[in-house]
Amino acid sequence: MKTLVTAGVGAIALMLCASAASAETSCGMNTGEAATGAPIKVGGIHGNAAPGDFSASTTAAAAYFDCVNANGGIHGRPIEYLVENDQWNPELAAQAASKLLDDENVVAIVGNGSFVEMAVNANTYRDKGIMAMASACAVSECFESSNIVSTNQGPLPSTIGAAQYMVEDKGAKNISCIGLAIPNVGPWSCGAMEWYMTSNDLVGSTVLLNPASPDVNSGLLEAVASGADTILVNLPAGLAIAFLKAAEEQGFGDAYQWASSTPLYDKTVPEALGEYWDGKIYVNAELTPWDKGGPDATNWLAVMDAYAPDGAARDTFSQSGFVSAKFFVDALLAMDPGQLDSREAVTSAITQIKGATSDLLCGPYYVGEADRHMPNHAGTMVLVKDGGFETVRDCYEYDSPYFEPIFEQEKALGIR
Amino acid sequence: MRQIITSAVVWIAACVIMVLWLGAGKPSAVVGLFLVSGLAVGSLYALGGIGLVVLYRATGVLNLAAGAIGMAGVMFAWQAVQWGWPQPVAWIAGLALSVGLALGYGRGVAPRMEWREPVVKAVATLGFALVILGVVSFLFSDDPRKFALPTDKSAVMILGLRVTVTRLIVIALSVFLVVAISIALNRTRIGLQMRALANNRRLSALIGIPILRVETVAWGVAGLLFGLTGFFFGDLVRLEPAVITFLVIPCVAAAIAGRLESLPDVLMGGLTMGVIESLLTLSPQLKNVRPVAPFVIAALVLLAMNWRRRISITGEE
Repeated sequence: MKTLVTAGVGAIALMLCASAASAETSCGMNTGEAATGAPIKVGGIHGNAAPGDFSASTTAAAAYFDCVNANGGIHGRPIEYLVENDQWNPELAAQAASKLLDDENVVAIVGNGSFVEMAVNANTYRDKGIMAMASACAVSECFESSNIVSTNQGPLPSTIGAAQYMVEDKGAKNISCIGLAIPNVGPWSCGAMEWYMTSNDLVGSTVLLNPASPDVNSGLLEAVASGADTILVNLPAGLAIAFLKAAEEQGFGDAYQWASSTPLYDKTVPEALGEYWDGKIYVNAELTPWDKGGPDATNWLAVMDAYAPDGAARDTFSQSGFVSAKFFVDALLAMDPGQLDSREAVTSAITQIKGATSDLLCGPYYVGEADRHMPNHAGTMVLVKDGGFETVRDCYEYDSPYFEPIFEQEKALGIR
Repeated sequence: MRQIITSAVVWIAACVIMVLWLGAGKPSAVVGLFLVSGLAVGSLYALGGIGLVVLYRATGVLNLAAGAIGMAGVMFAWQAVQWGWPQPVAWIAGLALSVGLALGYGRGVAPRMEWREPVVKAVATLGFALVILGVVSFLFSDDPRKFALPTDKSAVMILGLRVTVTRLIVIALSVFLVVAISIALNRTRIGLQMRALANNRRLSALIGIPILRVETVAWGVAGLLFGLTGFFFGDLVRLEPAVITFLVIPCVAAAIAGRLESLPDVLMGGLTMGVIESLLTLSPQLKNVRPVAPFVIAALVLLAMNWRRRISITGEE
């Protein structure tokens, strides 16, 4: 009996060890020793105020940096991560950059997430010779600037990806894109979708919704009047749900095919949409699905569990912040330790990132020296189903005339 | 009555001109869709505007916190439904919160500023709106959420557009409130006292009108109207705290269209604003400026009513 009990206890202990091992984190040098040297200052800016919270990316980056610091840091030196909130205010965004770049003298910016910050600070980053490894970008300046590179896709590739799926797998011939009436967001991303459609001898059109207008019905009617067979919603989640509710009111759920860019890939969306949209709306995911698994996906969740505050989001922006921070740390570890306080040397190390991979991304990540950066242009398509999401097309690369200069960059870097 | 008919003719004429101008060359079925869609939005502007005018007439306060008060109510109602409360109980609790917030401000803060200029009183309510918005934003994450009513499921077809029973309720409620409140103001003792207060606060106090009690009733009624407005905004527009808070702005435009005193004009003005805003979608050049339509209309009304009048910052001639 005693042997049985001992064996039982042993088995339980082994299971506990195995479960602990499965949740073990892997960060940086993985020494298990806390870094104690002089800190390396790194900045991050997010937007968190009504009506939206984009802080998930910097929260995940901070968790990864904490994990790195607890595991030997960067050759014994911890990363001091200084995060500012622009509160969606351009003036505060400029002040945040000034504080980080001039007062704190950070060597790089990592994990940024904002609608405002990148548009305001893109030229500052270029003039100050600093690289921003952003994670939650949404405006054109984020992807068409020399000193910003984002891990997430933003609305343009995600919209094209959704349109491409609807054309290739669902036979869409005429797509109406519903975007925000903000020049560097809606017209930019929906315009590229139209370009994709016309380049394939198909029809694309754009309906722009003014976020200040409560009337989404008129936008819906405009999309219907365009003669579209597919309506592609390219809006922030709250507005997208309002738009889909108006469509539900009109009973359009089965009359058209429905697709969306990434904002609707959010755990709370299926419940907010309700049963009506179950199995009806296809959503593009910029990074791999949360439950796909893989070493980085497992590590991301383990790091979040161990180092992030309780209740921190485990969403696409969180994945993106984690990946940006990981690639940044890998770049620092590959540097000459004597150069870690040099912004110029760190910028150079970041621009040399090439062909980095992660199971959280569908394609390779790179930076390079260029006037635009959009390394992430491959994604996954999911369907809103049974209160969650079901993958309907795994990792696929987007194809559109917009990406031609990017493909040329990739050829020059030898990764295509 | 004659004045109401004259106003109705002007507002309908404005709509007809816009229909003829913007709908020229378009199939009538399409124009009809936008017309009905605009009426549905306009009824929301009118509902909010009615609450603003009722309170302004009795207390002299242009309550810019109307949207925030309604927003807090509908957010609480949504949360209560998530907690598993029966829907009617959750709705009543949400409306009660809106009434409570309005009464709290009306009894706690407003009396301390009763002799200040109207502009100061209005700006103070803006501060109250930002406090409510801040607290709600702190308590609720920005997850997408939807507030639905059982009446959303049933609908009737009007000029080709499927109009839900909820929207019909809003339009009917706006008309009913205009009639009921107008009767109450003209036929009841409290209505008489409210009109006296609106006419001359100093004289009303001298003749013994219980100002605090009358104002409390006004804040309570207005709180209920703001609650209903937020409730329907949350269902028909979207359940986002900031969006509902600042939807008070077109409601203010509707209230101004009624010169802050005429409830029938608020109703007709609000509906016209919704219709014109919707019809502007038909113009490729003008559709991007749609959200300014209510303010352009309000500005035109202000210009018309202040023609050859001089008004000081205190609102007195």
